Amino acid sequence: MHINPKQEIRHSKFAMFGIGMLLFLLIIAIFGPLLTPYQPNSQTPFAFESPSFNHWLGTNHVGQDILSQLIYGARTSLLVGFLTALLATILSAIIGTSTALAGGLYDKIVMRIVDAFIVIPAIIVIILVAAYLKPNLLVLILLLALLGWQGGARTIRAQALSLKEMGHISAARSFGASNLYIIFRHILPDLVPILLMGFIYGVRRAVFMEAGLAFLGIADPTTVSWGMMMHEALDFCYLNVWRWWLIPPGVALSLTILSVTGIGHTLEGALDPRLRREANA
Amino acid sequence: MRNVITYVIAFLFILTLNFLLPRMLPGDPLMAIYGNEALIAMTPELKAHLVERFALDQPLWQQFGAYLLALVQGDLGHSYYYNSPVSSIVLGRLPWTLLLVGTALIISTLSGIVLGIESGWRRGSRRDKSLLTSLMAVSGFPDFFLGILLLIGFSVTWKIFPLSGAITPYSGLSGAALVLDVLHHLFLPATALTLSYIGASYLLTRNTMVTVLKNPYILMAKAKGLPDRVVRYQHAGRNALLPVITQTGIQLGRMVTGALFVEIVFAYPGLGYLTYEALLARDYPVLQGVLLIVAVSVLIANFLVDLSYSKLDPRIRYAH
Repeated sequence: MHINPKQEIRHSKFAMFGIGMLLFLLIIAIFGPLLTPYQPNSQTPFAFESPSFNHWLGTNHVGQDILSQLIYGARTSLLVGFLTALLATILSAIIGTSTALAGGLYDKIVMRIVDAFIVIPAIIVIILVAAYLKPNLLVLILLLALLGWQGGARTIRAQALSLKEMGHISAARSFGASNLYIIFRHILPDLVPILLMGFIYGVRRAVFMEAGLAFLGIADPTTVSWGMMMHEALDFCYLNVWRWWLIPPGVALSLTILSVTGIGHTLEGALDPRLRREANA
Repeated sequence: MRNVITYVIAFLFILTLNFLLPRMLPGDPLMAIYGNEALIAMTPELKAHLVERFALDQPLWQQFGAYLLALVQGDLGHSYYYNSPVSSIVLGRLPWTLLLVGTALIISTLSGIVLGIESGWRRGSRRDKSLLTSLMAVSGFPDFFLGILLLIGFSVTWKIFPLSGAITPYSGLSGAALVLDVLHHLFLPATALTLSYIGASYLLTRNTMVTVLKNPYILMAKAKGLPDRVVRYQHAGRNALLPVITQTGIQLGRMVTGALFVEIVFAYPGLGYLTYEALLARDYPVLQGVLLIVAVSVLIANFLVDLSYSKLDPRIRYAH
């Protein structure tokens, strides 16, 4: 049951590509304000300019610099992705391990609710809530996290249940270890690969959903994001501006999702014993 | 084991959310239910009638009762933007979404299975690796961006396919010409959806092939001297099929929501585009009606899959 995720990732080209790409995006996101010569939201009278030395990717319909928007879009995507996934993973770890160890009525009730949420299409709930509440970025992150932990909790609970029956845990119990001690000392360390995978897929889901909502035009209009850029650019797709306005945010979004998928797929292959031997495919 | 109660809880949650959201907002609830623009043209008599209809002067639980009663009678509300009942607007758009999702679901599942069988048969071969890489790459694209790429390539630049819509307006086509016109409009949106969902059935088939190929009956079939193709499809492929078929049901829900986005790109007049129009016009009754219908259909689809799930293969456990 002890799997070393680091080693699995190092042996996969796809995962290495993903990590490299994510690091690159992270650097761009962190140092964004230093890299951009313009404020992404500041409007100029020079609308629909083609790429030039001043505006490498031209300007949009209200004269905003597209490259600056693209760079700030990375911040939004990664912030939403990582924060949402972090919150959702923590929630799923707490619920998953506690239901597995406590059992009883608590387990039954919580799992009922979890199952109900798994069958509800999350994107629909989010569209509905976002249409009424017009959430800012923080509320959006909370909303996505609240709707994103249920699948993970199920997987973690199943894993914790099987870990619970193992010899070293009974041994710890016979020495008088408490539930909390067992969770932190014996169960959580062995859950790390699963948590990591849940986190990775959580990032992908959140990045995807944020972009989707912004593409629908119901995200916070003051936050620059790739989805919003595509939403605005699509209205002008009959002009040739799509080359530097519509394609770049789409490619950036796809590369982000692709690199996250690469890491997740490798971890998944490593976790599934039937697929283990092809970990370096 | 998920059972009926799970679905009842999920259904009640969606109903409650639909009911509470507009009514919990600050300000006039009627405003939130119908949207600001709709109320401008409203007469005091109509307003009084609506307050009575929604029981807005009653306590919250009685309002919920009135809401449920209306739903049971098939009344999804009235859109002042279209000036017609929400249910008839939704029903008018539904066939297009069904056509789009149905086409994409069938094509993506079938081709995913075939490619998965080919890939899993010789795992690690060059063909397998290139298939895996390209399909993983394609499924990494968000569905609406795939749609945008197709739109720009085939409609804007090369002008092979129409830019938007589901039929040529005012063309007066009929018979075979009409069918061709519908297919012509369907092609790009269906391709975008197919491409973004082919990865799932492909990966599952490929992974199932790995287990199936280890079975003794595969060795037996090979030892009998059967042709490669027969072993691959009739012995291995058929047995790798079951999980894919059940997963297709689960996919259905995700595909319907995926279609929402693809429809917007191509202005394809299904439920997704209707949602988008309702969002732009702040036509809340339509928005609520569409999302309720979609959510309930997804729930029903999931429920049917769950029912068939354990019957088809008791070994399959719930992983997610």
